[in-house]
Amino acid sequence: MAHETNQTLKLPVLVAGPVDVNRLVRELEAIDDVMLQLKLRKGGEAVRVPKTSQLMDQTIQLNKLNLLHEADRKSLSQFLAAVKKQSPVLHISFSADPSVVFIEKLMTWLRREIHPQVLLTIGLQPTIGAGCMVRGASHYFDFTLRHKFDGKRELLLKKLAAGETPAAEAVS
Amino acid sequence: MTIWWLALILATLGASGLAFIWLAVRVGRTPAGVVAGKPQPGSIAAAAREDVESIFNNEFREELRNRGRLHFEKIIGENAMFLQQDLRLTTSQLNEFMKTEITRKLKEEFAKYEQSITDAKQLAIDSIQKTNLAIDEQRHELSDQVRKEILAEKQQLLKHFESNMADIINHYVLAAIGNQIDLNDQLDYILGELETNKKAIIEDILSGA
Repeated sequence: MAHETNQTLKLPVLVAGPVDVNRLVRELEAIDDVMLQLKLRKGGEAVRVPKTSQLMDQTIQLNKLNLLHEADRKSLSQFLAAVKKQSPVLHISFSADPSVVFIEKLMTWLRREIHPQVLLTIGLQPTIGAGCMVRGASHYFDFTLRHKFDGKRELLLKKLAAGETPAAEAVS
Repeated sequence: MTIWWLALILATLGASGLAFIWLAVRVGRTPAGVVAGKPQPGSIAAAAREDVESIFNNEFREELRNRGRLHFEKIIGENAMFLQQDLRLTTSQLNEFMKTEITRKLKEEFAKYEQSITDAKQLAIDSIQKTNLAIDEQRHELSDQVRKEILAEKQQLLKHFESNMADIINHYVLAAIGNQIDLNDQLDYILGELETNKKAIIEDILSGA
């Protein structure tokens, strides 16, 4: 298991999905290339070091890594490869595009409660209305308002038959 | 009856006229034995003839003629008067009869006409009543049919509504306050649902992985 082999490394909440992991992998490869060029070239020649992204910065800071050290780069590379290969992926659909803050909060909860390296892909489905739909490896979880109404169908029918409203109940 | 009376009166008048004509002819005719041969002078017949001629001379004959004429005229006048009275009586009776008959006939015809009108009226009333009954029956049938169809439609709509109630309410909520539902406001609800199904999600992830 990846999180067993790389227990010390963690994914920041901003690295939410496989796309972000792939981006980190590509960025790390670029840094590796630059480092290799620095090693091979003679002194005095200028080598342009690539600028790290916010995702990479957060990953480095969270895991206290120094990418100038080959061991750290290798460790991170192995970690990212393991994450890419073995981390569970959840697909969650919302009615609107979620904000970064929302995703951060959701990822924090997922990494804490479900799996420390869980990845998330976000879908857009306007018909949901409220709530979300979660699709795992083989299961499908409907947390939408429509499903909630379906669950409360008998109660709705009972209320409709009695002609009651919540407001009326509140008054009574 | 009156026709017979009229015929009898006319027959009486005709018989009276014939009698007067016969009398006039009879008076004007000479005896057959006397005219045939001339009597012998000095005979009884001649003497009788002379006496007769002396008695029934021209003046006397003229007197007799005048008297006969007057008597005839008197009889004619009386009969004319009687005839006139009979005619007046007959005319009045005829008028009365005709009036009575016409009145009776008219009454009968009017009665028949009235009866016909009454029958036609009754027939029309019966027909209208039958039509009204038929219309009422059809109206009831149509009303029942419409009621049944409305009930069936209502049941179908209710069934449709009940089967798609969640979708309908969801659609209504979306249409009513869809733009006011912020995803950030739903975070607690979503996390609550995830928390409720955490175990199942973990099992799914682990089994999938």
